[in-house]
Amino acid sequence: MPGQAVGTESEVDNPEPRTFASVLRAQQSMVFSIAYHFLRDRSAAEEVAQDVFLQLHRRFDELKSDQHISFWLRKVASHRSIDYVRKQKSQAAVGLDSVPMPSVDGEPEDHFLNRRLQSLIGSLPEKPRMVMILRYQEDLMPEEIASVMEMPVRTVKSHLQRSLAMLREKIDRSMGDVR
Amino acid sequence: MDDFEKQLKDALTKKDPSPFFEARVLGAVKRQALEHRASSRMWWASAFAAVLLVITGSAWQHERTIREEAAGKDAKARLELALKITSVKLQRISRKVEGI
Repeated sequence: MPGQAVGTESEVDNPEPRTFASVLRAQQSMVFSIAYHFLRDRSAAEEVAQDVFLQLHRRFDELKSDQHISFWLRKVASHRSIDYVRKQKSQAAVGLDSVPMPSVDGEPEDHFLNRRLQSLIGSLPEKPRMVMILRYQEDLMPEEIASVMEMPVRTVKSHLQRSLAMLREKIDRSMGDVR
Repeated sequence: MDDFEKQLKDALTKKDPSPFFEARVLGAVKRQALEHRASSRMWWASAFAAVLLVITGSAWQHERTIREEAAGKDAKARLELALKITSVKLQRISRKVEGI
């Protein structure tokens, strides 16, 4: 029962055996970041990430390897994030540009460019946006993205090409020689 | 991967959730486990009540069948007795009529 594996600090500190708490600690930033880059709202992203981990807890015994758990978490986080936007479409549309951005360390110019890129990625349609996040946040290959998103590899490649072209064009137009 | 893609990667670096996230998820997991336990206890209680109801109903039905069979046999015996008495009386009357 996964509930028995949850809990004590000693379990969390000890990498063996794998417990729900250790997986939560190791994977929370991955799950949260997928939701956060997609939704661009910290509290909504935490809500989605919490739902993903609650679902993981219910199925913890069925997932046998770390690789399987990572794949499952990426898949569920992606689909849950898309579902969340679909449910809250009107609020999300209003919130996209008004949501305060998190602070990012680095050069002010990079910071500005990152914010601009995050904003442009946030303006992509749902599936191309998630494809971009899985490609550039999670470093997944198109075949892996296709498996996570349950879509043909050709579609993934086409989303990537079109999104990249669109982002390059918008960045070129708005920032001139920043690249 | 060109410079633009590296910039995209940089813009999409992983972020940490709030420091309380982990504790909040573990709390929610415990609540979920308690709710699951409570609902499974409720399920077992309902299943036990249903089984008890079926057993009681069957026993009552069986008892009723036995009672009805006994009552039927009793009624049959009484009818047979009544028919026997009637038959005897009719034979007596028949003999008297033949004697006239």
